[in-house]
Amino acid sequence: MNVHDEMSDADVLRAAADYLSAIPMPSAPDTAAIITTGRARRRRMTGLSIAGTAAVTVVALGLSGSFGSTSHQPGRTEHAQLTAWTVAMLADGNISVTINQFKNPAGLQSTLRADGVPASVTFASQRTRACQPYPAGMPGPGITPTPPLLKQVFPKPYQGLPGNLTPGTGPARSVKTTGPNTVPLSGNSTVIVIDPSALPSNAGVQLASENASATALLMPVLVYASAQCTGS
Amino acid sequence: MSNEQAEFTEFFQASWEPCLRAVVAVVGSRQLAEDQVAEAFTKAWMSWRKVSHHPSPRAWVVRTALNTGASWWRRRNRELPLADHDVTAGGDLAGGLDATLLTAIWRLPRRQREVIALRIFLDLDTDTIARQMRIEAGTVRMHLSRGVAALRHELTPNKTTEANQ
Repeated sequence: MNVHDEMSDADVLRAAADYLSAIPMPSAPDTAAIITTGRARRRRMTGLSIAGTAAVTVVALGLSGSFGSTSHQPGRTEHAQLTAWTVAMLADGNISVTINQFKNPAGLQSTLRADGVPASVTFASQRTRACQPYPAGMPGPGITPTPPLLKQVFPKPYQGLPGNLTPGTGPARSVKTTGPNTVPLSGNSTVIVIDPSALPSNAGVQLASENASATALLMPVLVYASAQCTGS
Repeated sequence: MSNEQAEFTEFFQASWEPCLRAVVAVVGSRQLAEDQVAEAFTKAWMSWRKVSHHPSPRAWVVRTALNTGASWWRRRNRELPLADHDVTAGGDLAGGLDATLLTAIWRLPRRQREVIALRIFLDLDTDTIARQMRIEAGTVRMHLSRGVAALRHELTPNKTTEANQ
């Protein structure tokens, strides 16, 4: 007799459920404590966002000074006085990264990590071998379809890009200029939205720019998370 | 209390225990799981507009809790082999229960434990589990089949003697 005939899959799962359910569990904490903590974090993130907006507004009014990681340098355009980048928590829990200039990448990296996003932010020339590409975490060349995982983790820019094109279809030239290898730029800014809940547990975010120029093409991609690459 | 807050409170009170049990089954430590689940519910409240429309908000909480745990471990530079960690951490959970099945569960590979936990505590079907874990449905079935087979082996009395007959 095959002993496995004695218990069906459902019986085994039921036995495991009964067994694990018998383990005493602590009662739920006070809901108010969860809500209070969440609200405090929301306020902190909103404060960061407001601070970034205020900095931009002050510069627009013609006041000089330095904000964030950017310092005033004579001879630069007015845009050089803007905050180099801003990180803000959106109402839906996503994280918005607005990059006016790719300055102080280490500071941006620290900010993202502090907000729970394993991240590597660096100049392209300084990318480390410790950062290994995550499967389906990098856009393909030209007009190949954007991997769904990229669209989930980075609603911007990838969800706005064509994802079902195959080579040989569509106007290749126009697609390529806004293709998955290219972040559409709004003026001189790059906006990237990260959905942390869509990030696989063993993956992190990598932002790498060729240079500090505001028009540098930025490619948000996924890499394997590690202490050496993404900090966690 | 706003409607949003009332809705979240109802979800929290109904979902805390199943979510906690699912995470305990995976991580093998009640204290660690409690911290991770509390953190996940905090994140759920922060993103409630999105989470409330999720196909399975409980699965969102469990996945976020497990991701948080993985992140904490990496941050502490204490990425010990999970099996070792679980056996040690889970040792106090059995209490008056027979520890055989408990040990068998925590000897399963993590993916198998995750699939089993999502099935028995959140009652998710294969396709939903696959979407949550971002793996193929066939892979879910494989993990479930192997995990169940291993547990059946432990649950069957005199398994070795009878199997050899």
